[in-house]
Amino acid sequence: MSTCTGVFAVSCTREQPTGAKALQRERQLNQFLAEVERRALRIAEIAVRDRDEALDLVQDAMIKLARNYAERPEGEWAPLFYRILQNGVRDWHRRKKVKNRVMVWFGRGASSENDYDITANAPDLAGRSPDVELQTHEAMQCLEVSVHELPGRQREAFMLRTFEGLDVAATAVAMGCSEGSVKTHYSRAVHRLREKLGDHWL
Amino acid sequence: MNDPGKNEQIEDRAKTLFDNSVERLDAATLSRLNQGRHKALDELRRAENTISWGRWLPAAGVAAVAVVTIMVMRGPVDVTDDPVTASDFEMLIEADSLEMFEDLEFYSLLDEVDPESNGNVG
Repeated sequence: MSTCTGVFAVSCTREQPTGAKALQRERQLNQFLAEVERRALRIAEIAVRDRDEALDLVQDAMIKLARNYAERPEGEWAPLFYRILQNGVRDWHRRKKVKNRVMVWFGRGASSENDYDITANAPDLAGRSPDVELQTHEAMQCLEVSVHELPGRQREAFMLRTFEGLDVAATAVAMGCSEGSVKTHYSRAVHRLREKLGDHWL
Repeated sequence: MNDPGKNEQIEDRAKTLFDNSVERLDAATLSRLNQGRHKALDELRRAENTISWGRWLPAAGVAAVAVVTIMVMRGPVDVTDDPVTASDFEMLIEADSLEMFEDLEFYSLLDEVDPESNGNVG
């Protein structure tokens, strides 16, 4: 009888911290996702030029992170999350390429990259003078188009380093390549953007 | 073209514009992001439930092995030790036994009237 009580007591005392730990991890994950979700959305949106598609991609990335990597240390979440997201974006581009080929085969023209309506998807304009707002809006529009037109790897490196603020090591994990490759892609991206945007954009 | 100052300017301007666009996302978009986040947290809970059930699997396996081991060590059960055997059933279905049940009242009356004489019979 005493053995049974002992086993029960051990089982109960072990259950308590596990539940508390799970709750704490859930809270941490919620906080992490709340911090990154907006920037992640805009990064995905610039990459695919469609807000609805970008929302789906971000949601998929959040679910995959929670399902597969929540046990990992919190510090690893950001590069893992962006790796999942970038993979999602790459898959999306692949699917779109195939879809466009099929559409051409059936005699229907592929949808243009410029179908994306920047004005319709522009941020809320409230709270600023129209001139400043227009300038900001146009500058962002130029930036979005230029970043979108970068080669895929350069675009990833630039957005993860500049927009998300990941360091070189975390960007390498997110992109699944070496730190040297990240530096090369990033440097080329910045040079290309300088060429495209010109000094007047600054 | 390799002017580090210009590169930094581009990075700073891009970052400022990007942050500005992030801050100004509309309510409908934020709501959808929120929904997506809660779906992810539901997924986390589901995964944890699966893990917590899985945690008991080794213990259940050990218990099953222990039960099988004990059964094997005790060996096969001896059927002849069973108190209810085939001969008991034979007694029940014999014709004499049924006659005894028919006279049951007589035997009980005999027992009540003269218990001492019953003992002396024979």
